[in-house]
Amino acid sequence: MNNRFMQKFIEIAGRIGSQRHLVAIRDGFVAIMPLVIVGSLAILVNNFPAFGDFKFVEWMNGIFGEGNWQQVGGSIWNGTFAILGLLIAFSIAYNLAKSYEVDGLSAGLISAAAYIMLVPWTGDGGLNAAWMGTQGLFVAIILALVLTELFRLLVKSKFTIKMPEGVPEGVARSFTALIPATIILILVGLFQALMAVFAEVSVFEVIFTAIQKPLQGLGNTLPAAIIIAFVNHLLWFFGLHGTNIIGSVIEPIYLPLIEKNLDLFQSGMSAFDVPYVVTKPFLDSFVFMGGSGTTIALLIAIFIVIRNQQKHPYREVAKLSAPAGLFNINEPVIFGLPIVLNPVMLIPFILVPVTLTIISYVALATGIVPKTVAILPWTTPPILSGYLVTGGSWRGIALQVVNLAVAVLLYIPFVMAGARTLKQRMEGK
Amino acid sequence: MKIILVCSAGMSTSMLVNKMRKSAEERNIEADINAVAESELKNNMDNLDVVLIGPQVRYLEKKIKEQVEPKGIKAGVIDQMAYGMIQGEKVLDQAINLMNGK
Repeated sequence: MNNRFMQKFIEIAGRIGSQRHLVAIRDGFVAIMPLVIVGSLAILVNNFPAFGDFKFVEWMNGIFGEGNWQQVGGSIWNGTFAILGLLIAFSIAYNLAKSYEVDGLSAGLISAAAYIMLVPWTGDGGLNAAWMGTQGLFVAIILALVLTELFRLLVKSKFTIKMPEGVPEGVARSFTALIPATIILILVGLFQALMAVFAEVSVFEVIFTAIQKPLQGLGNTLPAAIIIAFVNHLLWFFGLHGTNIIGSVIEPIYLPLIEKNLDLFQSGMSAFDVPYVVTKPFLDSFVFMGGSGTTIALLIAIFIVIRNQQKHPYREVAKLSAPAGLFNINEPVIFGLPIVLNPVMLIPFILVPVTLTIISYVALATGIVPKTVAILPWTTPPILSGYLVTGGSWRGIALQVVNLAVAVLLYIPFVMAGARTLKQRMEGK
Repeated sequence: MKIILVCSAGMSTSMLVNKMRKSAEERNIEADINAVAESELKNNMDNLDVVLIGPQVRYLEKKIKEQVEPKGIKAGVIDQMAYGMIQGEKVLDQAINLMNGK
């Protein structure tokens, strides 16, 4: 493989992967993940599928009275998914400010305050909840980035109040932020007033229809899913953390899609009828089984092909990787086999996930398998994840089993070829 | 000696850290070995000798070197095979070599 090209590729991918604003976006999403997962689990419990004759929801209704117990999950939803825009406005601003080594807490608070300033109101004097959640995600991202840049400039330009020495740090810090906060919030307020008076439309609606909606429409297509699978695995092939590098682009587009699915599922729609096929849990559960490259299938293929030689290097790696692989952690096999920069493994490592993406897309889009209505920690083992992610359907498990079988079959010839090359090389020595 | 491993999610690296600690113990080397995320590195620079960078985030090498080398801290990317096979001993060797300027 051309070495100069490779170096260039790694350098460019690396520059994207460590670009300050993209890192802040990614880390902002990572920070709210616990809340997202709790919110999603709350929905899953509230709508738990009947298990044969045992109907969990009815059983709970019988004990606590119709719907009473579901208020727990409902209010968890209200505090997590329903205000995701606000949470993101804070967490991205916080992370960006930290990366500049300016006061993250103040930047985050200013960004959250500005977000609320811009949210449209309802007729009876409440905040319009529609814009607090994922529909406001892009506004939140833009606000957090722009305002934090402004905040940094103001703080660094010494537009601040200096407290004498001996003043406690927390107090001094809040005074440092006072003038920047004043300037920023006045600017945001002016912007809001101008929009309301002259454009008669809220910035949320503008950004949503101009940017977020088209991107989401694009995101829910098969080509988009294939591109994500392809790019992610190409990056991993070069030994770079694919999911990490493209995360800042994927999360803002795909989080609103799964949120919509969850929201409709919560209000009683079946998992077959929710609108979006391609979501991050879709990729995590049906394609990235055992980690990127569906490497759990590769491990199975190795155990099938190399049955007799206990000490074979492939078998050793597979044995070492298996326990973590069940939880979708696969660095040992990626670097140890290795898959990285191994020309024999390049083809299946990209071919398998792309194939599985297509199979899964078709299975969900045609309604054979329910769509994804839960967000799980990415370490949830396959089979369990297939069941939960489809809102408790055996069809989710069936799709995973089919996908695994396909993946194992695709990997087997390449494992054989790889083992042969390895043997030749060892004998050649 | 104090060694820090920088990786992304810290899942597989923590397995490696355990192996390295064991290896250091067996060889009677007093070593303080930990894994952190890249953003946490700057809070862990006191008395630090070596930063080892996970191969999947090797693109951080330049940035980290610029950050730590002025303080006399050595940094390098972990050998990929040793990382994959979780060979704590080899990676510990690499750290020692880095520290000794080899």
